[in-house]
Amino acid sequence: MSGLFREIRKNKVLVLMILPALLFFVLFSYAPMVGVYFAFTNFSFDGGLFKSPFVGMDNFKFLFESGTLWNLTKNTILYNIAFILIGNVLQVMSAVFLSELPGRWFKKTSQSIMFLPFFVSFVLVGAFVFNLFSTNNGLVNTLLEQLGMQPYDFYMHTAPWKYIIVFFSVWKGLGYGTVIYLAAIMSISDEYHEAAKIDGANIFQRIRFITIPMLVPTFILLILLSLGGILKGQFDLFYQIIGNNGMLFDSTDVIDTYVFRALAVNFDIGMGTAAGLYQSFFGLALVLTVNYIIRRTRDDYALF
Amino acid sequence: MNPQMKKTGSLLLSLTLLGTVLAACGGNSDNNGNSQASPSGSPSSSGSASPSAGGDAAKPDTSKKVELVWYLLGDASSESAKVNAEFNKLLEKDLNTTVKFNFTTWNDWQTKYNLLLASGEKIDMLFASTWADYYKFANQGAFLPLDDLLPKYAPETWNKVPQQDWTEATVKGKIYAVPATYPEYTPDGLVYREDWRQELNLPEIKDLDTLEAYLDGVKKAKPDVTPINGKAWNEAYTLFKSYSGYEQIGGDSGVVVAKSYDAPRDIVAYPFTDEFEAWVKRMKTWADKGFWTSDSLASQKEAGDAIKVGTGAVYWRNAPGAGGYITDMEKNKPDIKMGYFPFTRFHNYAMPTLSVNNAMAIPKSAPNPERTLMVLDKLRNDPKYYDLLTYGIEGTHYSIADDGKSIVKPPKGMEGKKDFKGYDIASWGWRIESMSREKQAAGWTGFDALLAEFKAESKPNIFSPVLLDYAPVKSQQAAVNQVFEQYGKPLMMGLVKDPDKSLATFRDQLKKAGVDKIVDYIKTEASKYYDEKGIQ
Repeated sequence: MSGLFREIRKNKVLVLMILPALLFFVLFSYAPMVGVYFAFTNFSFDGGLFKSPFVGMDNFKFLFESGTLWNLTKNTILYNIAFILIGNVLQVMSAVFLSELPGRWFKKTSQSIMFLPFFVSFVLVGAFVFNLFSTNNGLVNTLLEQLGMQPYDFYMHTAPWKYIIVFFSVWKGLGYGTVIYLAAIMSISDEYHEAAKIDGANIFQRIRFITIPMLVPTFILLILLSLGGILKGQFDLFYQIIGNNGMLFDSTDVIDTYVFRALAVNFDIGMGTAAGLYQSFFGLALVLTVNYIIRRTRDDYALF
Repeated sequence: MNPQMKKTGSLLLSLTLLGTVLAACGGNSDNNGNSQASPSGSPSSSGSASPSAGGDAAKPDTSKKVELVWYLLGDASSESAKVNAEFNKLLEKDLNTTVKFNFTTWNDWQTKYNLLLASGEKIDMLFASTWADYYKFANQGAFLPLDDLLPKYAPETWNKVPQQDWTEATVKGKIYAVPATYPEYTPDGLVYREDWRQELNLPEIKDLDTLEAYLDGVKKAKPDVTPINGKAWNEAYTLFKSYSGYEQIGGDSGVVVAKSYDAPRDIVAYPFTDEFEAWVKRMKTWADKGFWTSDSLASQKEAGDAIKVGTGAVYWRNAPGAGGYITDMEKNKPDIKMGYFPFTRFHNYAMPTLSVNNAMAIPKSAPNPERTLMVLDKLRNDPKYYDLLTYGIEGTHYSIADDGKSIVKPPKGMEGKKDFKGYDIASWGWRIESMSREKQAAGWTGFDALLAEFKAESKPNIFSPVLLDYAPVKSQQAAVNQVFEQYGKPLMMGLVKDPDKSLATFRDQLKKAGVDKIVDYIKTEASKYYDEKGIQ
C-alpha cells in the first residue's frame, strides 16, 4: 500500500490529469452498476433498490419462457458480425482510397458526404426506408411498375430485410469509421512510402505491404471494442426500420427489440435489468475470450 | 506484465472500489432519507398546523411559502408560462404557494411517466389514470394514500365527489387519487365518409356486413382510395373487441377476456375460440380485398390524415374523439361529410368510464402533499382558478359567450387575427362537469343524440375495477405480449398467407409462453372481485 502512495506522490501531475476521466467512469459506469441488483428483486416503490424482496433468478425466466432466446441471440450475433466486418472492411477501403487521392478539394468533399449519414437520426432513416419500400407508393415499387415489372411486397417477406438492415447500418457508420482509419493512416511515417517508392514499389504494392499492415492494430482494437456490444445490437436501427411489424420478426428480431416489446406494455424494472445484465454478461465473456485468443497469437495487439 | 503496470492496475482497482462503496453509501443514505421523510413529514407539518389551528380550526397553516411541482401529460402550450404566472399570483395571495407545471409531452409519455415514479423525483402531484396504470402503481405503492389528508386539506372536494367515485379510486382499502368529476362514455367506433356512402348508394352502416359492404363499395368505386389508409391496427383491433363482445378485465388484459358482459366469469384466452378462427379468416378476405395496405403494420401514418387528403375513408375514434375529428373536418374541409358508427351497436350496451379514468395523484416522494391538496381543492371548487388554468386568461385566450356559461375561442375582437395564440392544457385530471365551459366532443352536433343512446343502454362497468398486477405471472405476461405482437397482430389483420397455419402457430406459441397460467391468474382474481361485489 505504501508503494501505491509513493507512486501517487511521484506522479502527482499525471494522476491529477487522469482524475477527471477516472471520476467520469466511476460516476457514470461503475456507480450505476449497483443497480444491477434490480435484476434479482421484485421492484416495489416502498422498497426501492435495497429493500425490495429478493427473488433470485425469477426475472430471467421470461427470456427463456417462450423458447425464442436462441433465435434472438443468433440473430443478434450474426447481424453484429455482419455490421462489424463489412463495416470495418469498407471503412478501411475508403480510408485507403481517400488517403491516396491527390486532389484536396475532392477528398474533403467526399469525406464530408460520407460523414453526413452519421448525423441522420434513425427515426429519419426509418421514414426513408418506409418510403422506399412501401407497397403502394414506395419508390422501389413505383420504379418496378414503371419498368413493367411486378411490384414486390417487401413487408410480407423476410428475405430482403437482412440486407436492407445491414446496408443502412454500414451506410450510417461509414464516414465515422473512415475518419478513424484515415487518422491511423496519417500517422504512418512518410519515410516508409518514400523508401518503397525508391525501391520501385507501385501504389498497390505500397498499400498491400505498408498501409494495410500498419492498420491492423487499429482494426483489431476497433473490432475488440465493438465485440463488447455484440449482444446489444442497435436498438434504434431495428426498431425504426422494422417497428412492430410481426411478419418480419423471424429474421429481424434482436434481443433489444424483443425485450422492448415484451416489457413495453408492462413496465418492469427487474425484468428489464435482467435482460440488460444477460447482454452485458455475454458481451464481457466474448471480449475476454477474443482478447485471450489475440494475446496468445499476437500479444502486441491485445487490449489488456 | 511489468511491475509498473501492476501498480497502476491496483491503483485503478482500489479507486473504483472506493467509488462503488461511496456510491453505495450515497444511495443508502438517500434511501434512509426518503423513508424517514414520509412518516416524519406529515406529523411535523400537522404539528406546525396545530398551533395556528388554535385560532382558526378550519384553516391549515400556510405561513411557510411553498413551491409545488405538478406533472401533466401532453405538451405545454406556447401560452402556458403566461397562464401559469397568473395562476401563481392568485395562489400566492390565497395559499402562499406557487406551482410549477411540467409536461411529459406525448412522445414516449409512458416511459417518462414510469420513470418519474420509479426515480422518486420530487413531484407533488401528477396526472393518474386507469390507462396510465393507476391501479398497478397504487398497488405497488407508488402513490401516497390520501384518506387521512383529504378531509383536512381538501374538505370541499372530499364532500362533493360522489361516494361511488371514491370507491373506484380505492385500492386495497385506501384512496390513492382524486378522480375528476366528469362522467364520460368513450366507446370505440369508426368515423367514415358519409358523402361517399350516399354518392355510391351504399347501405347505412349498422353491423359488420354493412360495414364490409361500405368498405368494399368504396374500394371498388375509387381505386385510388385505401379505405383504412395508414396504420389500421387500431381500427381492426377495436372492431374485433367490440364485435366479439369480449370484455377486457382490469384494464388491458391482452388476449385474456370475459366472453361477454353477461358471463363475466367465463374467462378465456380468445385466440383459442371458434369465433376468433372465423374472425381471422374473414380478416384475411378483407386484407386481400385491399381494405388496408399490406405494409399497414409498418406504417406510421394516421388513417385520419388520409381522409383529409381524400385517399382514405375510415378512421377509428372513441365517441368524444370522433366529435373532435368531425368538427375539425367541418371547419377545415366543409365539402367532406363524415358519419360515425359507434361499436356499441353490435351488442347494444355502453359502459361509462371509471372515475379514475382521469385523476390527480400524489407520488410517495412528494415533499408537500398537504399544500398540494389545498391547491387542488381550490382549483376544483373556485371557478376563478378553474377557468384560468383550464381555459387561460379571459379576453386573451377566450371570452364568455352570450349565454354567460360557454366560452368563445378566440375571444371577441380577436377573431381571425394573426397574433392570437390559443391556450391549451391536458386538464382532464381536475375536470368537473358542472364547471366545464366547453361541451363534450368539441360541441359536435351529433353527440347529444349519441350520448342519450349510451345513457339509455348504460350498464355498470364491472370489468375495469378488477385489480390485476400480474405479479405471479409476469414472466408469462411478458412472453405472451411478445407472441401477440409477433404472431397475433399480423394474423388479426389478415396479413398472412395461410390463416389456418398461422393460427395454429399463434396458438402453439401462446401455449408455450404460458398463457394458461395467466388465464388461471385472472380467473382467480376476477372471481374474488365478483364474489366481493356479488356479481354472478
